[in-house]
Amino acid sequence: MGQSTSLIRTTKLQRTYQMGKNTVQALAGVDLEIERGTFVALVGPSGSGKSTLLNVIGGLDRPSSGEVWVSDLELGQAPDKKLVSFRRDRVGFIFQSFNLLPTNQAWENVALPLMLAGRSRSERRQRAESLLEQVGLGDRADHRPAELSGGQQQRVAIARALANDPVLILADEPTGNLDSRTGRDVLLLLQRLVREQNVTLLMVTHDMNAASYADRIVHMRDGKIEQIETIERTAEAVA
Amino acid sequence: MTFGDILRTAWSNLTRRKVRTSLTSLGVTVGIFTIVVMLSLGVGVQRVIQQQFDAIGLENVVVQPRDAERNPYTRYVRPEREVVISPAKIAEWQQMDDIVSVTPIVDVNESISKRLVLPGDAAATIAVGVDPGIGINNPFETPPTALAGVLRPTKDGEIVISQRALRRLGLTAEVNNLIGQKVQLIMETPRGESQSFDYTLVGVSSVDNNLVALTPNDSIALKAWWFNEPDLLDKEGYDYALIRAKDLNVARQLTTQLRAERFRVQSVETVLELASKIFLVINIMLGSVGGLALFVATIGIMNTMIMAIYERTREIGTLKAIGASRGNIRTLFMTEAGLIGLFGGIVGLLGGWGVGRILNRVALAYLEREEVPIRGDFFYIPPWLIGLAIGFGLVVGIVAGLYPAARAARLDPIKALRHE
Ligand SMILES: Nc1ncnc2c1ncn2[C@@H]1O[C@H](COP(=O)(O)OP(=O)(O)O)[C@@H](O)[C@H]1O
Ligand SMILES: [Mg+2]
Repeated sequence: MGQSTSLIRTTKLQRTYQMGKNTVQALAGVDLEIERGTFVALVGPSGSGKSTLLNVIGGLDRPSSGEVWVSDLELGQAPDKKLVSFRRDRVGFIFQSFNLLPTNQAWENVALPLMLAGRSRSERRQRAESLLEQVGLGDRADHRPAELSGGQQQRVAIARALANDPVLILADEPTGNLDSRTGRDVLLLLQRLVREQNVTLLMVTHDMNAASYADRIVHMRDGKIEQIETIERTAEAVA
Repeated sequence: MTFGDILRTAWSNLTRRKVRTSLTSLGVTVGIFTIVVMLSLGVGVQRVIQQQFDAIGLENVVVQPRDAERNPYTRYVRPEREVVISPAKIAEWQQMDDIVSVTPIVDVNESISKRLVLPGDAAATIAVGVDPGIGINNPFETPPTALAGVLRPTKDGEIVISQRALRRLGLTAEVNNLIGQKVQLIMETPRGESQSFDYTLVGVSSVDNNLVALTPNDSIALKAWWFNEPDLLDKEGYDYALIRAKDLNVARQLTTQLRAERFRVQSVETVLELASKIFLVINIMLGSVGGLALFVATIGIMNTMIMAIYERTREIGTLKAIGASRGNIRTLFMTEAGLIGLFGGIVGLLGGWGVGRILNRVALAYLEREEVPIRGDFFYIPPWLIGLAIGFGLVVGIVAGLYPAARAARLDPIKALRHE
């Protein structure tokens, strides 16, 4: 790796969308570095390119130009197969609307990335149960998503994002569908995971209160980074 | 993803829309059912016929002489024969390797009038026919049995008479006590000449007609007198010869050889070959009906899968985001389609089997009531048909799944995740 401690590095990153005759610049030259083990919030008005940046960093979308490095992999030029294994083995995604598979029990949802990686069912079950324990749902392993509250579903989704032991977790408005109290619980959980497991978390939000749980806040506007804030926290505040 | 995971996932996806899945696979069921019923009927009937022919003996060859080309000016004269089944020929065939037996047969024409009489009893007289005794049982009739004595005379001067004819003659005693009874056949020409022939009864047959059976020599003697040709046997020979070969191969070779010698030859195998050709055509036609049903079923599965993919777009996006490859998605949807086809196939096979069994019973009951001595399953499912039915169901599903699965695999994950 050797690229100091930064996990993510983008240079002159652009993403344009063609809408008929119009060209939409979702990303208009983004230079960003994120260190390993940090919780970064991506804020900005709607349409400022937050989701696009997240998707490019997660290997779901490709930049139109510029480079995006995650650890030692440049995603813009990587072949499709590489992107698939990158998403499967190194990234965890958390979505605004949870996106759990309705027919699967909670533990099966958590174990999906492991299933795709070809692990045995017994190994999957064991790992999924310990992850559900970590997110406080140890007793809900056999429940289906419809039998869980929104907050519980999002915690199952968080456990799923952790299943493959990722270096990077990408969350697009993870509290967007939750009331403020459950949202706070989820944010505290995410914060704790970053601390305890040394994963890197990039979270898109338009809610400044949610962003305040992060270590750094990246402000975007019109496809560009406007400002980066670092939140200084006292030892008590963290606890 | 292991094969087990794919199967389990596909299964849970199919069972979440049970009604739709069942209705879709019903299409396949109808197609496979039709094919199974039709083909098992074709196969079954062919098998029953084969069994009947086997009972006759495929190694039998029937040889007939060939009449020479007819001259229009000799139309009213009995035709000359090009080749003759002479006693010498019979002896020659008997000498051949791999021949079990050769039986000469004489056909005493129906138009030759003959009466059976009891000597000394002028009242006891009935018209009879002479049973040529081809030696091949008609598969659609119960073969005659000897109620007493033998079924066919073995020595000249012996006669076998049907029980019915004996009763008509007034001989109503226990059949065993009639053996040894003297009888006469009286022939009368339209010119009024008549001649009687004496015989000893050696057997009573169960034939349901007024028939007698004579040796070939005695039959020839009747004809020779009737046509006033004492050397009839030398000139025209026997009317048929039944040659029993050791096996089918010998029968085949013999057939070719005798045809080359200008004899007319019929072997049961020739008939059977023709029958198989006809059955093949029928099977193909009936199979096509099922094929059409399967074509419709394919479209049904395709429609269901496209609908399922539309409904599950977000799910596909999610799976792709968390690391499912195009191959994973494609395999998953192909498996779902394949399973729909497979279940349709299995149910169709079971249905076809069940209906076949019921119809077999109905047919059996009917044949028993009509006293037709044919038994056997008219609907028969050979092992290959089981494989074909299930395999066809699976293939129909997979083929129907090809396009939808490719479409699902191609979905852009970002767009799919945004899909409502
Ligand atoms: N697939 C797409 N096709 C066309 N335009 C797109 C597409 N995705 C995003 N955009 C446009 O790119 C810009 C940034 O979108 P996005 O990254 O979703 O913003 P945010 O998440 O900050 O609300 C918006 O103007 C949006 O309309
Ligand atoms: Mg967004």
